[in-house]
Amino acid sequence: MSERPPMVRAEGLGKGYGSGPTRLEVLDGLDLEVPAGQMLAVVGPSGVGKSTLLHLIGLLDRPDRGRLALDGLAADDLDGNRRAGLRSRLIGFVFQHHHLLDELDALDNVALPLRIAGVRAAGARDRAAELLDAVGLTGRASHFPDQLSGGEQQRVSVARALAMRPGLLLADEPTGNLDRDNAERLFELVIELHLKAGLTSIIVTHNEEMARRCDRIFRLAPRAELSSDVRTV
Amino acid sequence: MAIGAELHVASRYLVGTRRWTPVVTVTLISLLGLGLGVFALVVTLALLDGFQSGIRSQIEARAAHAEVRPTSGRRLAEPDRLASLLQGRLGEVEIVQVVRGMCLVGSGTGAVPASVVGRSDTDRTTVDSVLARRLGIGAGDRIEVISARQRLTPMGPLPVRFTADVGRLAPPAPGDEAGTVELPLDRAQRLLWGEPVVGAIELRDPADPWGLGDRARAILEEAAAPVRVAGLVELHRPLLTALALEKIMIFVAVGLMLVVAALNLLCNVAMVAAEKRKDLAVMAGLGSTPGSLRRLFLVLGLVIGLVGSVAGAVVGSAVAITLDRTEALELPSGVFMVSAVPFEIDPATLALVVAVALGLSAGAAWLPARLVARREPAEGLRYE
Repeated sequence: MSERPPMVRAEGLGKGYGSGPTRLEVLDGLDLEVPAGQMLAVVGPSGVGKSTLLHLIGLLDRPDRGRLALDGLAADDLDGNRRAGLRSRLIGFVFQHHHLLDELDALDNVALPLRIAGVRAAGARDRAAELLDAVGLTGRASHFPDQLSGGEQQRVSVARALAMRPGLLLADEPTGNLDRDNAERLFELVIELHLKAGLTSIIVTHNEEMARRCDRIFRLAPRAELSSDVRTV
Repeated sequence: MAIGAELHVASRYLVGTRRWTPVVTVTLISLLGLGLGVFALVVTLALLDGFQSGIRSQIEARAAHAEVRPTSGRRLAEPDRLASLLQGRLGEVEIVQVVRGMCLVGSGTGAVPASVVGRSDTDRTTVDSVLARRLGIGAGDRIEVISARQRLTPMGPLPVRFTADVGRLAPPAPGDEAGTVELPLDRAQRLLWGEPVVGAIELRDPADPWGLGDRARAILEEAAAPVRVAGLVELHRPLLTALALEKIMIFVAVGLMLVVAALNLLCNVAMVAAEKRKDLAVMAGLGSTPGSLRRLFLVLGLVIGLVGSVAGAVVGSAVAITLDRTEALELPSGVFMVSAVPFEIDPATLALVVAVALGLSAGAAWLPARLVARREPAEGLRYE
């Protein structure tokens, strides 16, 4: 039986913004491999490129240099449609600011990835209700984002990320805007769902305590050679 | 993205919000702009169609629907045989033999050149109102008709002339500015030719005025008659062409309002795209393809275009029909053929207006939609 490829393999990844003398190289020659099933915490100072790394891995942006493969599939040369297809099938996102659509209620927000993938409305809403139940928001299905607390908004966001049963969960400071208790509860939820669904998870966080609860910590430094990789278990 | 998801999100952007947002405001402005543009175009074209329909009705009511003429010269060969042939084949159709020429028509105060028409279906002298006004005469007055044809008399060659009492006054034929006197056929023949010459055969069929020419042409071609047949369109081509041209020019000129409304829609859709930048990035993150995001904005533009243009068309049609039925806009008597401004809704024109409005809306939404589809999703998230 052949060995399963790593869920994420990045080689020499580079990304910069702007041009001319004001150009800023955020990532330069970054190598990273995340095996399937692992929960990786990415930590580092602000502006070091944590979110950029997550956007590149999540195919929300294109690297200037380097190669990226997801679940064994080279993702560098895919066109916009195939990248979208891969995002839909393989990746679930949780953003720092929940980024729920204001015009949709919690149920429709969770059902949105399914509707985008072509699932019929009734089926999508059934699955969304299941997920809201799983994150403890059964009674809040018809509430709109501005009627939910910050913690509830993030839990809806987690439910939405899992709607398509992804293999890879990417979370960009999911607890960044929450108080300590809510942050703790959300992180517990993410760990629980990670284990239950057999996900590979990459979590960008500033919270060292939470990072230590992941399988591995990747410390991103301004220069690639200073980045460090620590296995916590 | 399946079209259902695009429609779902677009509809929520438009009507699903629970509070007043910039998206709702710009949507209403776009709707109003397009609605007003379509309304103006529908009412203007209904007015034009009303007047043009009146002119066409006048042509149908008064003029010949088809005319058989010689292929060359002014004499029609075997007019009686042709008339019998047509009567036999066409059935209930009015057939009139005519002869035409120019004469001087005088009254006690002077003489003016005018058209003379001899017709086989009349036995009295009729003068149209244009000629009557020029001569200052009315029904019952005596006129003298002087031909260019001469006859020899003991005093030398003198023009052929005769006097007649005006039996009645008739409205002028559309476009006739010289005036016409209508005589019994035999009198006109003596006046113009001195022999029984027929210049043309006029046909009328109120049941099918616009198709009569084609039917008569087919019959006479089958009989190999050396004649030309002109239908209603050929007989009034300059006037009908002018009417069609007028409609096109009015459509283009008033249609510019729709272009302005579409430019407004473009700005508004671009504003929505900017306002919803984060949503679009999130949707891309959830699997929306660039094409589906483009479709989302096309759906937005088309929905605004559809609602605006249908509302404008419905209100415009209702206003036009009401004004027509109530004859609310009166016209000075004696100047126009009708007493009130006529309006007529032509379904084909209405459909064309709505189609143009929809096309412009799709075009207006396409540019911002294209820009949205080109962005990398991360761009929308980076600035949050």
